[in-house]
This record gives sequence, C-alpha cells and structure tokens, in this order.
Amino acid sequence: MVPHLQDVIARLRDVISKFSLEGKIGLCGIALIVMVAVFAPFLSAYPPGKITGGSLESPGADHPLGTDELGMDIWSQICYGARMSLFIGLAVACIAGLGGGALGILAGYLGGAADQLVMRTVDVIMALPAFPLLIVISAFMGPNIFNVIFVLVLFSWAKPARIARSQTLTIKNNAYITAARNYGATPFYLLRRHILPEVFPILFVLIIGITSYAIMAETGLAFLGLGDPTAKSWGMMLHYATSFRSIYFTPYWQWWLLPPLAALIVLLLCLAFVGRDLEQVLDPRIRQNRGV
Amino acid sequence: MSVLEVSNLECCYHTDNGAVKAIDGISFGLEAGEIIGVIGESGSGKTTLALSIMRLLDGRASISGTISYNGTNIAHLPEPEMNRFRWKDIAIVFQNSLDVLNPVMTVGNQVIEPLLKHENISVREAEARCADLFRTVGLDPIWMDAYPHQLSGGMRQRVLLAMALSCNPKLLILDEVTSALDAYTRKEIRDLLIGLQKKNGYGMVVVSHDLSFVSSLASRMIVLYAGRVVESGPTTDIINAPRHPYTRGLIHSTPDIFIYRDLWGIPGGEASGGDGYAGCPFGRRCTQSIDICRTSPPLLQPCGDDREVACHRGGIATLLRADDIHFRYTLPAGRVLHAVDGVDVEVREGEVLAIVGQTASGKSTLAHILAGILRPESGTVRFMDREVYGANYGHRFGGIQIVFQDPFSSTSNRFTVLDAVREPLDINGIGTAAERLDMAREALRQVRLPTIDEFLGRYCGALSGGQRQRVALARAMVMKPKLLIADETTSALDVSTAANVLRTLKGIQNRKGFAMIYISHDLSLTLKIADRIAVMDAGRIVETGNAHEVMLHPRDDRTKRLIDARISHCCHDHGDGVPTLTGMGEP
Repeated sequence: MVPHLQDVIARLRDVISKFSLEGKIGLCGIALIVMVAVFAPFLSAYPPGKITGGSLESPGADHPLGTDELGMDIWSQICYGARMSLFIGLAVACIAGLGGGALGILAGYLGGAADQLVMRTVDVIMALPAFPLLIVISAFMGPNIFNVIFVLVLFSWAKPARIARSQTLTIKNNAYITAARNYGATPFYLLRRHILPEVFPILFVLIIGITSYAIMAETGLAFLGLGDPTAKSWGMMLHYATSFRSIYFTPYWQWWLLPPLAALIVLLLCLAFVGRDLEQVLDPRIRQNRGV
Repeated sequence: MSVLEVSNLECCYHTDNGAVKAIDGISFGLEAGEIIGVIGESGSGKTTLALSIMRLLDGRASISGTISYNGTNIAHLPEPEMNRFRWKDIAIVFQNSLDVLNPVMTVGNQVIEPLLKHENISVREAEARCADLFRTVGLDPIWMDAYPHQLSGGMRQRVLLAMALSCNPKLLILDEVTSALDAYTRKEIRDLLIGLQKKNGYGMVVVSHDLSFVSSLASRMIVLYAGRVVESGPTTDIINAPRHPYTRGLIHSTPDIFIYRDLWGIPGGEASGGDGYAGCPFGRRCTQSIDICRTSPPLLQPCGDDREVACHRGGIATLLRADDIHFRYTLPAGRVLHAVDGVDVEVREGEVLAIVGQTASGKSTLAHILAGILRPESGTVRFMDREVYGANYGHRFGGIQIVFQDPFSSTSNRFTVLDAVREPLDINGIGTAAERLDMAREALRQVRLPTIDEFLGRYCGALSGGQRQRVALARAMVMKPKLLIADETTSALDVSTAANVLRTLKGIQNRKGFAMIYISHDLSLTLKIADRIAVMDAGRIVETGNAHEVMLHPRDDRTKRLIDARISHCCHDHGDGVPTLTGMGEP
C-alpha cells in the first residue's frame, strides 16, 4: 500500500509541476479557502448564527467585517459559509461525477439495453432547460440543503456519464482488451486495471467543473430564496444582503455584500484555473504520447 | 526379387567409453535396378550403413542381423569370401576427399588395381578398360597419369566412380558422392549416374544428407535418425507430405525445395545415443512429443500408400482443425457480409501455415474464430480434439495465443513493459511474484528485448511500434503457446522493423517448435516463413498447398492474381519493347 501512496504522490507532483502560473495560484486559492472552511471555529470569534452585536455595525475591532441586520458577525458567516459552499459543491460534484461516470462506464462496457436505457435518459436530461427546472423543483421540494444537493445532482450527472461511456467504448475496442479477455480477464479486472485508470483522470477534470457549476447554481438558488435558510452559505448571505431594502443607499453593502461576492468570485476563478490546467495535463491526446 | 535384403541390422562401435550403437535395427530391401535413397543428418548412421553393407567396418565395430545379397547372407562371411563380392558384385563410391585416394599413386593405377585383382586380365587390357571407364565417367584418359592432388574435386569424384564401376558391379553404394561438389558438377554427376543406371541397370543405394540430390535420383527413400529408420516410402510422397517431424525438418532445411523461404535448421543437436536414454531418439528435438515418447522408442509401422513411419503419434499430428466455419456480420441497412464462408483449415504440429489474402477477405475474422475469441455461426474448430470456443485455451500454458495487427493498441499506454508482459500471469494467478518476473524476463529475452529494470519500468506508450509489437509477442510467449496466431503482426511496421520482428517470430517458432498461423496480405513476406499457404478470398479458402507449390504452380485464378500483383522493382517490362527473360529456353 505504501509504495502505491508514494506512487500517487509522485504522480500528483508530476501533474502539478506541469501547471501554469494561474493553475498554481488557483491551487493555492482553493487550499486557502479549504483551510478557512476547516478551521472556521478558530478563525472567527463568534458562531455565525448567533446575535453577538448590534444590528448593522461597521467593521471594527469586535467584528472585522461588521454585523448584519440581526447583529450576526459577517466574518464568521464568511468562514462558515465557505464550509457550506464547498460542501454542497463537492458533494454534488462527487455524487454526480462518480455516479454518472460509473453509469457511463457500465453503459459503455455492457452495451445493449443497459446502454440504451442510460443514454436515452442522458439525452432527456441534457435536453431539459436546467435552471428553470432547478428553480421549480427546489421550490416544490422545499428549502433543505439535501434537496438542493439532490436537485443539482439530478441535472449534472449526464455529462460525466456521456463522456465516461464514450471513453469506455474507445478503450473497449483496443486489442489489448481483447488480449486480456483472451487470457481470461474478468470484467472486474478489466474495469480495475484498464478502464478506470483511463477514465478517472477525465472524470476528475469534470468533477472540478461540476463543483464550480454546483456552487454557482446553489448560490443562484439561494439568491432567489430557494436555499436552506438555516444553512448560511455565501449565496444565502448574498440573498439576505440584497433583500435588505435600499442597501445601496447605505454603506453596509461594502462589508455585507462585497465579501461573500468576492469570496465566491475567488473560489470560482481558482476552480476554473485548476480545471483548465488539469484538462491540459490529463488530456488523452497529450497523454497518448507521454505514457503518463 | 530383392537384390539386397537388410533385416534388423545393428551395428555397435566399441570405444574406450563403452559401446555406441550407430545402427539400431534397420531393415529394407532393394529390387534389381532400383535406386533407394538413405537420408539423414551427420551422425545418423548413414555412412556406417554403407560401410557395413560393404563389410568395410574396422575391427572395433560389431554387426548383428542379416544382410543378404542375392540370397547369401554376407553379414558374417569370412573376409576372403567377402572379397569375392566386393567390387565385382557390390561396389562403393566413397565421398570425395583426398585421403580416399592414395596420394603417391597415379589415379589410373588406382583404378587398374582392383581390375587386376578381381578380373583375370593383363595389365594392357586393364589399362584399356581403365581408359574406357574414364571416358564413361566423363574424364579424358590423359588424366590417368595424374596424381590425386592434381585433380579437381569433381574429377576425383569421377575417378572414384570409375573405380567403383571397374568390375561391373550389380549393386552400387554411393556415400555422399556430391557433398563437396559445386552445384554444376553435382548436376553433372547426377546426370551421369542416371545415364549409367539406365544403361547398366545397377541397383543403387544413395546415401547422402543432400535431400535434393537423393530425391532427384531415388524412387524410394529411407530417412535415418540416430541409427533408426524414422520414415520410408516413395520419394515424391515423402517430399510433398512428410509424415515424420524429422523428415519435415530436413525438407524445410533444404533450399532447393523451399526456394523462397529462409533457411531454418532443426533445432537441437543431433542425437548421439548411448547415454541410457530409452525414449524416441528424436523425442528431445520433437515438437509434438508426449509422455510415451520419453520412455519407449516407437516402432516403424505402415501408414498406408506403401509408407512407413516410426512415431508414437502416428506421424505429424493435427493440432487444430476447423471444419466448414461460417461467420456473418450484419451491416447497417440490413446488408449481410459473409466474412467467413465455409472455411476448412488444418494446422499440424510445429508448422507455419500462412493465410494470405487481400484486405477484407475475412482473414482477421477467421483468426479471431480460430483463437476462440469469436464464436463461429456454424462449423467446428477443434484444438487437440476439443472445441476451441469456450475451452479458454488462452488462459493456460500450451494453448492458443494471438498477436494483433496494430502495435499501438496491442498494449496499453499506461502499462509498463513488465505489467504488459506479466498480465496473463497476473490474470490467471500463475506463480509467485518472483516467478512471474522471471518468466516475463525470459519471454522478453526470447523476443530480443532488453531485460534490465529500466526497460521493464518503461511505459509502453514510450516505445516504438516495433518494440511494442515485440512486447505483445512476449506477452503471448509468456503463456508458452502450442499455437500462435499472428494476425498481420508486422504489416503496420516499416520494412526493416517488420523484417526484424518477423525473423524474431520465426526464430522463436523454430526454437520452441510451436505451430503458427501467420495471417498476412503480403505474399512475398509469408513466403519467407511459411511451410504451407492457404489463399483466402471473399471468405473462402481458394487454394492450400506447400508454400513453394502455391507460388510456383498456382492453380486458382485468385492465387495467380495475388502472385501477379507483386510489383517487381526493376524496369524490365514497361511495354517499351525491351525483351523479357520469360519464355527463354522454351521451344
């Protein structure tokens, strides 16, 4: 197991060394936000959902970014909100990416009726206008973080499924798969040794893309008031800030609206940078010649 | 009535280290005027046989069995009585070498000597007879006064022949008479022998390792191996369809028979005998030996058509047999492509069968069916008498392996060389990790790839096409197949790489003795390695035969088309009136 771990680390280092400057900045940014999310209780003095000061205080010694209209600390909301946004983004991306990928691989490997079933479902899902339906369904199901995740997964598994299927089909036609089968390889062996290692890097890039999409979609839903009101994500913060009447006539928007917005933009930018670089490094056409 | 009847002849040389059996129970008969060929590698006992018929073996050899000449058993005749038979009845033509002739006597005197001894004639008459003899064998009588070293090899051979003919023998034994001669002289001697035989009606025993020489003279042949007859029968039948693996090996080593093919000898050293080994003498070099071959020697048994073979498996065995296979692909728009349309194929142990045809003739589909990857719609494919599909012959040692065309998809880019070669062992859980590594190294060595750790750890994606094809080959070899199917294995490679890979492939095949089906669209290439060729066209096999037969005398129009499609590189015929060589020599 240990040499495997070393192998993985060496390969990761290899991948990262091929990153551009933006990619490296992106990685650092994501690492920073993850740290903030993990160590939120240590970075903020107050719990985010507790009234710890006066209403609409300006930034000061007690509250570095001031307080909202209920007197809750905005900096703590940012810290804990990172948790929420990352959790939703990653949860959706992992479930949709891995689940969809698995379905796609199965469809491609098995072919026939299973393939037809999965691919026609994918066609339907991809043809649907995602965002309006997202709004309708989340409104119908009620504001709950798991409902949000469910709805987002529903609309984002199709792409990984489709790509995983086409990759599997390509790999399946290689002579080495026929050879391995001729040697008595089980489907499990073929998946483990030949198909998954080829498909996984591509899925990984997709997962990063879906994370961005999910964070953005969650923010959008929250902004429209369809998020979980008890789960203070950055989107909910934006929602509350913009619902505050005539916020733009007051100075509050500078510390109430801008910080969550900036945090969101930074996170999405970082994800985009990393996603782009990973795509270049793991692109199958480039890998073909390098044997990575 | 037989002039010569040898039965159960055994001959032992007694050396300081014990007895060596040079001849181990040989029996054959020779009709008057018949020419019989005795063929075998050096050390097979041919010369001992010739010498023992002449009773010219020295005192350290002992003979048992009978050699009857016109009813008289001469095997144990006392020396003076034997002398009456020698030269007058049975004469031997020795292999031409300087030490057969006395260097200080003129060759004329050496021919006259037996004349004076056996015929009651004067010296003058003897000289006249000698001059006649010289003329008979195509030598000017002025050479009678020459000394052996003054003559060329061909002339000395003629002197030796004249010597043997001097007393008008009834039976002539020729021991390697042409081995040291150039092709032109060899043909002259052969023509001379045929002429003399026609004129005088000698019986002849032609002993040689030169298969083309023997087969051009003899009507029947005996194949000797380690002092035993392994096969006998009419010459044409033996040459066209040898039954014993050893005979086949000899034929395949003869350039005059397989004109286009590269030469590959029979692997392994010739048997010496006398080391207490009790099995079939050829067993250790044989590609189809089974348990019984190691414990008891096979007896010579009739196998039809006046032929006999000594083999526990009844001669060259059939390894794979396909009967009436059909396979169809359904194309879009409901069209049906009959890719394999009633194909019968037979592959024998240790042979290279080439399946040649244009692209889209169904060769690859056939290969996949024969390997058990595809299931034929109808018909049977049997490998060692078991149905191939579903028998999983790819999973185990001694089965069927297939190597594919495209070098870049034959191994995974992500696999290291070691991973790729070891894969079949990993999948089937054969051996420990260390054993697998050793087997993988051994396989790589066979295909002439490096076995150092640096190379083993290299990714297949970083290798060249030729190297990858060798890795794929090593992966097949690691399973020690009895049948290897090479599906256009070299056609995606450049000519030099293809030549190297092909030679490696044939080299392993020759050494390991597995059978191979080589599938290709390139007739010229397959002629280099194939024993037999099957020509495929539109899903059918239109012609099957020995490689040289198919090439030189194609019977089917589609075969002719394939042969004519070869582009010759020179400018001999562009229709500009330059005369071509074809047709010359024809009336």
